[in-house]
Amino acid sequence: MTGTPVGNDIRRLRFERGEMTQQALADACQVTRQTIIALEAGRYAPSLELAFRIARAFGVGVEDVFRWEGA
Amino acid sequence: MRLGRLGWVAVLGAAVLALWLLFGSGRVLGHDLGGLGMTVLLGATWLALHAVSSTPQGEFEQGVAPAEWKAWIGLGFMGVATAFFLVKLPLFAGESAPHAPLSSGVARELVLLLVAWVVLTQVVASRWTGRVQVDERDREIEAAAADWGRSGLVFCVIGLAVLFGFSPAERLQWATPWMVANLLVFALMWGWLVEYAATVAMYVRDRRQSQ
Repeated sequence: MTGTPVGNDIRRLRFERGEMTQQALADACQVTRQTIIALEAGRYAPSLELAFRIARAFGVGVEDVFRWEGA
Repeated sequence: MRLGRLGWVAVLGAAVLALWLLFGSGRVLGHDLGGLGMTVLLGATWLALHAVSSTPQGEFEQGVAPAEWKAWIGLGFMGVATAFFLVKLPLFAGESAPHAPLSSGVARELVLLLVAWVVLTQVVASRWTGRVQVDERDREIEAAAADWGRSGLVFCVIGLAVLFGFSPAERLQWATPWMVANLLVFALMWGWLVEYAATVAMYVRDRRQSQ
């Protein structure tokens, strides 16, 4: 898996939610902590389903978490 | 049960002894030492499992995905099984099914290895009870690694086809039907080994680049 054109604000949103841990977010989204780490590092583009799960865990819309950074 | 440094050295020593017995072709008083090697290996694995299961998860263990741990275990066991099979392959040349006592011994030891592998995988999985162990990213890595495994299998089968198709008949005396059957099994094992190696390589690369 190489870098992805899909950027995200997961790290910022975690800290705005009382420094939510990566493990807590992973448990809320039913993924492994390593997937959250890969997402935050911009190394992995989530499926549409996971993108919705993450947005829902933060209580915001998908576009508040993910943005297109490609050409 | 907690193992001290000396305990771990003893377990490692037992595992090395087991592998030596397993890969050696020595026989004592008519008994194949492979069975003893497998017993020692299972004992060492059991001891190590008990020690590991009573140790709290450290930062390193938590930083590695459960699926990556499984891939490492798979790579280790498949590596040992493939090497064992390769070392014992000459035994198959002198036998034919259904009367193949030496081959049966090798098959029995491979099955024991498989059982140890399954038990170890289950124990490792139990350390993540209540947590997600496989997600969509793991499945993507599995799919990419499966492509590598398929390529490994294809290359191995093509290699065997070229060997049998282009070698003079007098140089293929060793290639009995039983031997060819076992070479095809070896090709399968090689494909799985490549798949596990690719899985591990992808996880390690991904983990390093994410840090």
